[in-house]
Amino acid sequence: MNAAEQKRPMPLESALALARKELYSYVNSPVSYGIGVFFLLFVSLWFFYFNRFFALNVATLRPYFAGFPLAFILVIPVLTMKSWAEERKLGSIELLLTMPFSEWDLVLGKFISSFIVLALIIGLTIPVPLTLLPLGEFDGGVILGEYVGALLLGASATALGLLLSSVFKNQGGAFLGSATALLAVMLATQLAQAVNLPLWLAEGINFFSLSFHFETFAKGIIDTKDAAFFILTTIGFLFLNTRVLLFRKWS
Amino acid sequence: MIEVQGLTKRYGSIEAVKDVSFEVGTDQVLGFLGPNGAGKTTIMKVLTGYHFPTAGTALVDGVSVQEDPVAVKKRIGYLPESVPLYGDLTVDEYLSFIADARLIPAQERKQAIQESLAACGLEQAAGKRIETLSKGYKQRVGLAQAIVHDPPILILDEPTGGLDPNQIIEIRGLIKELGKRKTVILSTHILQEVEAVCSQVLIINEGRIAAQGTPEAIAGTLKGTDTWELILKGADMQGITERLSGLGEALKPALLETGPEGGITVHFSVQSGELDGERIFDWAVSNGLKILGMNRKKLSLEDIFVKLTGEHEEVRA
Repeated sequence: MNAAEQKRPMPLESALALARKELYSYVNSPVSYGIGVFFLLFVSLWFFYFNRFFALNVATLRPYFAGFPLAFILVIPVLTMKSWAEERKLGSIELLLTMPFSEWDLVLGKFISSFIVLALIIGLTIPVPLTLLPLGEFDGGVILGEYVGALLLGASATALGLLLSSVFKNQGGAFLGSATALLAVMLATQLAQAVNLPLWLAEGINFFSLSFHFETFAKGIIDTKDAAFFILTTIGFLFLNTRVLLFRKWS
Repeated sequence: MIEVQGLTKRYGSIEAVKDVSFEVGTDQVLGFLGPNGAGKTTIMKVLTGYHFPTAGTALVDGVSVQEDPVAVKKRIGYLPESVPLYGDLTVDEYLSFIADARLIPAQERKQAIQESLAACGLEQAAGKRIETLSKGYKQRVGLAQAIVHDPPILILDEPTGGLDPNQIIEIRGLIKELGKRKTVILSTHILQEVEAVCSQVLIINEGRIAAQGTPEAIAGTLKGTDTWELILKGADMQGITERLSGLGEALKPALLETGPEGGITVHFSVQSGELDGERIFDWAVSNGLKILGMNRKKLSLEDIFVKLTGEHEEVRA
């Protein structure tokens, strides 16, 4: 065994190397900026125009954050669609899979970079609550809770988008697949409310609905149960992603 | 250094590689030779951990590619057939990413990149975006990527594919140079390439090894015959067969016909190295024969290749 092997690298070093390269690609891609602008426009229009914030005359930002899950349905698939599907199409997946990355290194590298971009895009919205704060007695804790919730929800949805990107062969398919899947899990809770379902079924649907778990954050509560749900689903999707990569080696 | 035992790889119902075994020692250049779709790339994909084998084992420095793929990949530099590059990066950025991901310590990184750029003649192109480069330069970037971490093993899938003759000579020279201190496996369907750079050859056809050895050994001994063509004057058809036994006991003419200028054309085959022109000349003189023509056809690698693979040339997916 040679020296290179005895020197154990830091656990995330390889994953971070990949994440840096991915971030670089995001920074150089006009799509990232476009989707950032889209997100800002969407949540602002949603809040000020459709929810008539000023006409409501209530010092709450809940409708503002309620727009986030809806925007995610389009924003996250755009961020994640390329990650695996494009590598497969270009053949560069062969490079990644033949370099000394473990499957977890690869999946985490992709996840970390996509998540950082998403977090930056979410961060762009901070000026909106900041400029509104002087207008009334807003609850700062609620706003903070909303952001934590948005990040957790975003992490879970990003992991799902990445998983689907690894399944599809091209980014168009990956986008449609992820958008459909996100639409389903975001809006499932609406179904449970709109239709008179047996309680167990409604609860079951709610359990799988990402936006249902987001609602508690909207109340300003950081519920460990819901936080755990997001973290576990994120890990679960990432795990499935590593299995997809491994499965390909056998086929 | 690399040991492959009973390797079989199935893609769905297609058996791409069937029961292949071979060994490569340190500082050898092994060439995989075979028609398209013979299974060369599949063997490489197994060795580089891109695919797992359906059956059999592949060991790199005694480490199984299946059990510890990361450790194996550290020792290997790989240039796939379709060179995997990120067009939106510059050559420098691309190699930095590779060096980064290969965990080359920060203080050695710059030098490692410089060395691989120099080895591949890429210094001028370092700051250019990869998508603006020509095919030949892209190929070199692929090669630079494979050697940036100075791996003991290099696996190159059709390294000269799509290059012009000058570039081919350059890349071959580079591979030969690298072969002095690394184990190199390369695949090709160009025979001259094998004869030019390889110390060992594996001829692969339809997923099986058709022949194995040094280029000379394969050309010489495997189907190891020289075919002689003599045009002799002063003999008749009956007598010649008898007289030929003077050259070798079991020697029989493969073809006997009336030749030009009243001579007789004789074709016969012997083990390589058993006969040379001088002995034939002496034999002819002592038998009162005049030699009008003498021609030795050595079976080249090309002949063997066509013989071994020619009947099934169709390309498989």
